[in-house]
Amino acid sequence: MHNTLTRVQNVFGFFTSVAFAVAAGIAMSVLLSPQAPSASLELKNVQVVKGRPHYYSTKREEYAHVKFDLDADLTSLFNWNTKQLYLSITASYPSSDPSTIPPSEAVIWDAIIPSDYAPLHPNTYIHPASKAKKSAKPKKKESGKPYPAGGSPGIVRLENQKPKYQITDVSGKIAKRGNATLSLHWNVQPWVGALVWTNKNSIGRWQGLQGGEAKFDFPPLKGTEVKKDDLKTETGGERNRGSPA
Amino acid sequence: MFGSLAALQPRQLAAQILNFALVLSTAFMLWKGLSVFTNSSSPIVVVLSGSMEPAFQRGDLLFLWNRGIETQVGEVVVYNVRGKDIPIVHRVIRRFGGGSAPLSLLTKGDNNAADDTELYAHDQSYLDRSKDVVGSVVGFVPFVGYVTILLSEYPWLKTAMLIFMAASVVLQRE
Repeated sequence: MHNTLTRVQNVFGFFTSVAFAVAAGIAMSVLLSPQAPSASLELKNVQVVKGRPHYYSTKREEYAHVKFDLDADLTSLFNWNTKQLYLSITASYPSSDPSTIPPSEAVIWDAIIPSDYAPLHPNTYIHPASKAKKSAKPKKKESGKPYPAGGSPGIVRLENQKPKYQITDVSGKIAKRGNATLSLHWNVQPWVGALVWTNKNSIGRWQGLQGGEAKFDFPPLKGTEVKKDDLKTETGGERNRGSPA
Repeated sequence: MFGSLAALQPRQLAAQILNFALVLSTAFMLWKGLSVFTNSSSPIVVVLSGSMEPAFQRGDLLFLWNRGIETQVGEVVVYNVRGKDIPIVHRVIRRFGGGSAPLSLLTKGDNNAADDTELYAHDQSYLDRSKDVVGSVVGFVPFVGYVTILLSEYPWLKTAMLIFMAASVVLQRE
């Protein structure tokens, strides 16, 4: 009854039940933390050109290159159980048969914004410093934070932002599609518990996202008059790794 | 060890063995029940690679849900590549179809520079939601699954653990 083995078993059993209860409490507690995210998203420029899916492909497809302005305040999404925020801008457009098939959707830009307490990782988004601040004083040594001094995670202000991904449709044709929407999405990754995605409606203490949408149409295909410089994409922090692993 | 086994009455020994079988079958039925509840062949998975860092590290435990399969962009899905039986946890970055048409998805690991087209089967450029995807991640517990990575990397640990479990159940006396 009281040999070493049963003692060890009892201690381990008690430890796991306490750990489980604490984790469950932490996971549920996020419902008490109020949220009021808001964003304003605007389309800056969209161009459609011919391209190939990858260097060795002979397939020619139409690719859309979308530039946008974003001014978002998502600080309230960072509570004590938030490990990181996956932020993305997506373009959605009606499918070939809008009455029975939901709209198609593609990510054009995304970023991983860590919380203040997350350990440093090469694959986190570094917010560009604003131009005004840059001219005011030459930056001192970075504090190791992925956002400029004085900023906090969740404040994102981007002007004329290049996309990370040029997008195409499954059919390879994306020019002249009307009624498209650019929208902001997020995924809150907790330290422990449930993952949470964008909500538009208010639930309890969580208010839905205000704004964060822009309507646009895909323009007709452009030829060789588009400069290569205009079609550059941004590379994210994941460039530190090679091909899929 | 065998001395104490021999000291047991046959009836007592049988009861202990039945007890052990009960523990095993309860665990098995819990797993299968969860499988039915979530409609996923593997409702809990352990992250095996760093391709979703910093969201998921090796050894993190993920809970999947597979009902209502209108997977949206930004969701994290677990899929099996056709012909290979390795579950991969990656994020959806494009979706086409759904509704009356089959839903096609393109995925990418947060920590990978390129999307997964290279990982898919040879003639495949998109995942089929209903065939390839095991489930969508809804819950997260860090690090707990590292035990299973240790067990698969050091097979002798598995044997040792089974023997220890069997011995402790059989030899324990009430």
